[in-house]
Amino acid sequence: MSILLNGETKVLVQGITGRIGRVQTKWMLEYGTKIVAGVTPGKGGQEVEGVPVYDTVAEAVAERGAEASVFFVPPGAFREAALQTIDAGVSMIVVITEHIPVHDAMEIREYASEREVRLIGPTTPGIITVGQAKMGIMPGNMFTPGRVGIISRSGTLSYEISINLTTAGLGQSTVVGMGADSVVFTSIPELLRLFEKDPGTDLVVIVGEVGGVQEENAAQFIDRWMTKPVVTYIAGHNAPEGKRMGHAGAIIQGEHGMGIPQSKMAALREVGVDVAMYPSEVVELVQRHLNHS
Amino acid sequence: MKLYEFEGNDLLRREGIPVPDYALATTPEEAREKAETLGLPVVVKAQVLTGGRWLAGGVQTAHSVEQVEEAARSILGSSIRDWPVQQVMITPKIDSVREFYLAVTIDEYHGTPVAILSAVGGVSVNRIAMERPETVASRYVSIIKGLLPSEARRMCRGVGLGGADVSRVANMLSALYGVFRNYDALIAEINPLVRTSKGDYIALDAKIEIDDDSLYRHPELNLSLDSRIPNVLERKGREIGVTYVELEGDIAIIASGAGLGMASMDIISRQMRPANFLETGGAITAELMYNVMDLVLQKEGIRAVFINVYGGINPIHEGAKGVVNYMKEHQVTIPVVAKALGNHQEETWEIFQNNGVHVVSDVSTEKGVEQLARLLGDGK
Repeated sequence: MSILLNGETKVLVQGITGRIGRVQTKWMLEYGTKIVAGVTPGKGGQEVEGVPVYDTVAEAVAERGAEASVFFVPPGAFREAALQTIDAGVSMIVVITEHIPVHDAMEIREYASEREVRLIGPTTPGIITVGQAKMGIMPGNMFTPGRVGIISRSGTLSYEISINLTTAGLGQSTVVGMGADSVVFTSIPELLRLFEKDPGTDLVVIVGEVGGVQEENAAQFIDRWMTKPVVTYIAGHNAPEGKRMGHAGAIIQGEHGMGIPQSKMAALREVGVDVAMYPSEVVELVQRHLNHS
Repeated sequence: MKLYEFEGNDLLRREGIPVPDYALATTPEEAREKAETLGLPVVVKAQVLTGGRWLAGGVQTAHSVEQVEEAARSILGSSIRDWPVQQVMITPKIDSVREFYLAVTIDEYHGTPVAILSAVGGVSVNRIAMERPETVASRYVSIIKGLLPSEARRMCRGVGLGGADVSRVANMLSALYGVFRNYDALIAEINPLVRTSKGDYIALDAKIEIDDDSLYRHPELNLSLDSRIPNVLERKGREIGVTYVELEGDIAIIASGAGLGMASMDIISRQMRPANFLETGGAITAELMYNVMDLVLQKEGIRAVFINVYGGINPIHEGAKGVVNYMKEHQVTIPVVAKALGNHQEETWEIFQNNGVHVVSDVSTEKGVEQLARLLGDGK
């Protein structure tokens, strides 16, 4: 079991003929992802790694039954591509693209939510349901199948936590990169709700970082709704105020120090979540929970 | 990218919001001349990309040309929250009978624009919201529909405005929403908007920040980076396409992602001191890694370099070539420790190992940092 994605999901790759789209399509196929089509406007009729390429999403949906799409489109093309994809009836879009204008992200978020289309990202490594399929750029050799669900604001840290769990013999169910921008399409609480319902997940790890209020809202959700244990690590203990730490969303702002990791950790501890001080401590905390049950 | 007040004024004016005339000056003499042309009394205002100008004495009223020179002399060359003041704006003093606060910004968690209005302007809106919440209204705006005139008027009435204030302030709020949308702003704030004794409405300050990721579609703004990032290395980082944040220590960090970079900082800080935060994002090439080595080693007194990279979207074996080329060409003798995992990891390890880079054999950053501390022999 898993959330969002499994080995049967019919996946579309948008921007498949680009340099990154080609390489990642190869690796997603090797991992077992059921990629049924690709789309690049003007490149219809070509093939990439044996995958047929179409000019429009509507064609890919009609002819190949594509139901979820992974985006490698350039940031300036995101808005138009997303509108077209939502209108074509795809139910989930995973947006790998970085540097999307935040106004475009807000517009697509509103458009998609009115039509109940799930979006993940932007600026995400994607989603991997371990051992089955991946929609994204994460290296497959970091993961091993198991029962730990992971939600991460950072791509590279999701790899770090996963390889450390893997090395300790603790496998993962689904690992979701939720995106690193200031505005993301799907929040931590929404993903927690999916993991809570997933019979294949026993415990959830949240990998947070400085900036925003995702972790604080996650704490409220956990307090009310979660029965499964949650372990977290929040990166950026000593991040200076007012500097964007690489991610658009990773910034401590204003006179009240909004987004400081200490307040996130306090909010999570208060509702009984185990907070790791360093990434490898996550492994010990996960082990402790799973040995008890 | 934050705009200077005068740049913000120009945008407000383009969208139909009245702002005072202004002139810029970089010397006290120039300030005096400009003030004479504008007509006294004037306000002399420091142009810096930070708040707190009033408290720091960066805004002064002058009633004579001598006072203008004096004010400009004391403001130019001073620093406000570490920002050196290189330019002042001179603007006619406007008499106000009432002040308002207007802003359009983004509720990041809900991913939607939010309009904020207060019947009390000129002071911190956070303070007003705490002390007199009935004078502040905020409202989510559908980015697809925009801010409707009826919504803007309802906000005005909601904070207790009456008479001409309702329609005039509502129009200003709609125009400010136009600034926010048309220029891809993260925040567009007027504090204060004033009503003069003649019944004119004029914006006396503009705080606008434009989304960096949308600058490509705003050539009309013609913004240059130079004066906006005062730290030389941070500016160089931006020029080569990476994020560099200078810190106070002596261990350089190069990470292929922001989260990994911050985690590296957290772990190194346990027993050593990071010199910087640097993350490459997903665009690693041999050339980029050569350039980031050059960048982090420009800071004085670096004792070691800690590289932490994953091969997901990044070709880390290509990046490794850039690192070792730099080390050879510049005869780097301080320890360089690299943790590299993911696609092409074996190839990457080989390139590093054959060229004097210490490869971390464990999968955890903690073990990598321990290895670094041992190499430095002190761990302190």
